[in-house]
Amino acid sequence: MGQKPPKNYLVESILVTIFCCLPFGIAGIVFASQVNSKFALGDYEGAIASSKRAKKWMNWSIIAAVISVILSIVFVFALGGLAILGLSNQ
Amino acid sequence: MKLKHLGMLLGGILLAFLYFYINPSSVNFLPKCPLYVTTGIYCPGCGSQRATHELLHLNILGVFRQNALYVLGILILIYHLIIRILNSFFHKNSYNYIYHPKTPWILLIIILIFWILRNLPFYPFNLLAPH
Repeated sequence: MGQKPPKNYLVESILVTIFCCLPFGIAGIVFASQVNSKFALGDYEGAIASSKRAKKWMNWSIIAAVISVILSIVFVFALGGLAILGLSNQ
Repeated sequence: MKLKHLGMLLGGILLAFLYFYINPSSVNFLPKCPLYVTTGIYCPGCGSQRATHELLHLNILGVFRQNALYVLGILILIYHLIIRILNSFFHKNSYNYIYHPKTPWILLIIILIFWILRNLPFYPFNLLAPH
């Protein structure tokens, strides 16, 4: 076993599951397990392919996290704005 | 790569300040869990923002009360970082269990069981729900 296993993104997937996007985190964990099992069987190319898939899910979850933060800020400002308009109309 | 790490560090410090000074229980502008808002079901991550606030105030029991899985996540992160630092800076060759073929499945099963249990509305499982 001279080669090192490709990055499996397991820790990142756990953090994504806890902090942000459960489905993306679980997909990441499944691909992390593929990285580990394929590498253990000597399928280095397959392990790299699973590593790339896991990375793709991590990138999507970062995008989803940014979108949800933006949406929640917009939602609060929109509600706040409506409340101010409602008060000024009375 | 260097710029990316610097950005992550700055972002982390900014978030730490935010969650130290803001108590997520008493404000309504932080993002909410879409699963809980739409269905009333807690996901395995519910309570993590409040848990971060408790952790930054060094209230470990408070972290447990909000989200017990959060503690496991932090421990895994610390373990992974320690092994990586040992291997790259001190040229050790410690085995990292993150790369064991069974580890991801065990963690997935823990997450799924935690998800089910924290939604059971009776003692002692209701202790796992965020308070």
